[in-house]
Amino acid sequence: MFSDKSFFEVFSIAARFEVDLIALADRYRNLQVQVHPDRVADGTEQQKLQAIQAASYLNEAYETLSSPQRRAAYLLQLRGVDVNRVDQSDLSPALLLEQIELRERLEGLPRDESGLTQMEQLRVSIEERHLESQEQFAHNIEHENLANAKKRYYEMQYFAKLIAEIDSLEEVLLGY
Amino acid sequence: MALLQISEPGGKGPKVSRKFAVGIDLGTTNSLVAVPCGDSVETLPDDQGQDLLPSVVRYLDGETQPQVGYLALANAISDPLNTVISAKRFLGKRVAEIVEANPFIPYQFINTDDKEIPAIDTAAGPRTPLEVSADILRVLASRAEKFLNGSLDGAVITVPAYFNDAQRQQTRDAARLAGLKVLRLLNEPTAAAVAYGLDSKDEGNVVVYDLGGGTFDVSILSLQRGVFQVLATGGDTSLGGDDFDNVLANWVIKQSGNKDPLEPAARSELLAAVRDARHALTDSASVALHFDKWQGTLDRDTFAELVNELNDRTLNACRRVLRDAGLKVGDIDNVVLVGGATRMPVVRHRVADFFQRQPLADIDPDKVVAIGAGIQADVLVGNKPGDSFLLLDVNPLSLGIETVGELVEKIIPRNTTIPVAKAQEFTTFKDGQTAMLIHVVQGERELVSDCRSLARFELRGIPPMTAGAAKIRVTFQVDADGLLSVNATEVSTGTTAEIQVKPSYGLSSNVIEEMLKASQRYAEEDMKARALNEARIEAQQILDALVGALISDSNLLTEDELDRIKTATGKLETALQTQDSRQIQELTAKLNAETAEFATRRMDKEIVRALRGEAISSVHDS
Repeated sequence: MFSDKSFFEVFSIAARFEVDLIALADRYRNLQVQVHPDRVADGTEQQKLQAIQAASYLNEAYETLSSPQRRAAYLLQLRGVDVNRVDQSDLSPALLLEQIELRERLEGLPRDESGLTQMEQLRVSIEERHLESQEQFAHNIEHENLANAKKRYYEMQYFAKLIAEIDSLEEVLLGY
Repeated sequence: MALLQISEPGGKGPKVSRKFAVGIDLGTTNSLVAVPCGDSVETLPDDQGQDLLPSVVRYLDGETQPQVGYLALANAISDPLNTVISAKRFLGKRVAEIVEANPFIPYQFINTDDKEIPAIDTAAGPRTPLEVSADILRVLASRAEKFLNGSLDGAVITVPAYFNDAQRQQTRDAARLAGLKVLRLLNEPTAAAVAYGLDSKDEGNVVVYDLGGGTFDVSILSLQRGVFQVLATGGDTSLGGDDFDNVLANWVIKQSGNKDPLEPAARSELLAAVRDARHALTDSASVALHFDKWQGTLDRDTFAELVNELNDRTLNACRRVLRDAGLKVGDIDNVVLVGGATRMPVVRHRVADFFQRQPLADIDPDKVVAIGAGIQADVLVGNKPGDSFLLLDVNPLSLGIETVGELVEKIIPRNTTIPVAKAQEFTTFKDGQTAMLIHVVQGERELVSDCRSLARFELRGIPPMTAGAAKIRVTFQVDADGLLSVNATEVSTGTTAEIQVKPSYGLSSNVIEEMLKASQRYAEEDMKARALNEARIEAQQILDALVGALISDSNLLTEDELDRIKTATGKLETALQTQDSRQIQELTAKLNAETAEFATRRMDKEIVRALRGEAISSVHDS
């Protein structure tokens, strides 16, 4: 039902990096109400299979567009850029150095209460950098500057990964 | 024209070809059935006026109908071998798992083969947990049919959010065996939220806090215009009301000065006494207790202090689920209580403190799940065509496959909205590889050995290609009931293999929870183990490639260059014997740098050959 449409077309929104997440969630729910397998719980196997496929595609579309990381990769993919193929020029030495430094700071944190406070500060500064690279990605993709957009994409990915690592470390420290 | 609109007595309006659908809470201890009545949904009582049906079945010699419910329960002590209690805990498990989790289990199992569903040897013959569950469902279904005076068109059966593939599969099969058409397997917390949500027409985020006899579940749902979306789910499957009794019993023993270990009978008696005391504390501020020659009183403050740690554990699980959902306490608009153990004021107070609001408890916590299932059944069977009410559930555990180095590649992370289909491409590791083993695992850890194996199947007939050239596309499909199927295709030739993950590979919910706990405990170790594995693979790939390159093209290097490459190779090979991933990475990078020029020269050489009409591939093969 959707599979010939792009994820942006599924939601009838412009294929841009900036997305109104609240409106997107709203449209997602409206569409899911129409296509979900529960709509045909009493129906034929064929109807059920179609519903599972449509609902799965819709879930994938929503999941992709609601995450800045995946949305960026998808925008590049639509332009024929494969983010899984990393070229040497995509990673600037400055970015690598910054990553190493941030990672060392994270690893060097004391594994106790004082570590938690410092980790929170580190998280805030990394989140800022993450936002910056998103803004720059948006600018570059808008101007079809794909090489730079791709660079910014990897930047975003590095920061997102670091934030995820902080999250899991925090869980360990807090003993959740 | 009001005179023409004659409505049926008791109903709110004229009804056209209404279908009969029920909600069933198939519980570990008790089960219930709920049916739509007019504008509300209500649980149905038996002839004695009891809504709860104990989930107990007794099989008798020569009788086709087993005893189910209170009658069976009354005979449980006199006839333990033929009376099956808590069959739900055995669904989707192997004999070894059942016995390990329940060392004092009285039953004799017939099928001890891991591939078979275990069967209990009863006076009426062998009975699997699936069949026992079906017997319970039959009693509830006939209760509903008698009330509705018609046959059922479908049922919604609830399952714990933590139920895995095998447990869900067997629950669905049990319902089919009982002659029920399953409209949907619904997660228990979702059902509870539905029971409240439709009454109040609320919008916002709802926490469902479900503390039962032996398990604790917590889920967060978002409610927007009739759509219930589960954002995250978690819990502790070895924490429940029973633990509160154990803490109290130990306190009483300590107070009484008793140092001797208790006989099992005395222990059961004490547990019954403290359970009564605990229930009494729900309505009174203090309660008298006696044990042996000791007499004393227990007040709410002392009780609160004793069970503080248990409450802390449930709230820690709440913190974790909040984090998974990306929410803070301030984002929560409602808290719903489910399970008999949430009647304890001490639990309610702690929950209210933590979420900074009074939890909702106006629906009987024992009935709320069945009522929610009944509401959903009514919608699914098509009785409410104008209603856009929809439930979006998530998968509770990550699903992935094994990749090189015994690492798990997660394909569907936990808490992904279902139904979901995800595909990922993998490639061959060796030259000329024609088959690939697809090993499907479930769990949060990074290494295969720490996760639960769900299925193994082989994709054969991959055309021989160089390592990394074949493209194997593995697709995971999880349907709205949470059931998984896996399909693998080699993209260039279309060779496919498919598997429906079978119920015999059940994970016990204890195992699930242990895996979750372990994943937190070991998160750091895992990161290191993963880094080490990845570093080793990368290093090995370079070393392997280099061996071939040196054989064919070492004449492109000066002796000095060759020496430097050999030194770097030797160092990396030594480092590979250690656990030091950082050093392996550094030395790999160094070797990479040392060989960069060599690679360029080989490339140039190949281009020259290609220009001369020689195929590049033949250079590779030499």
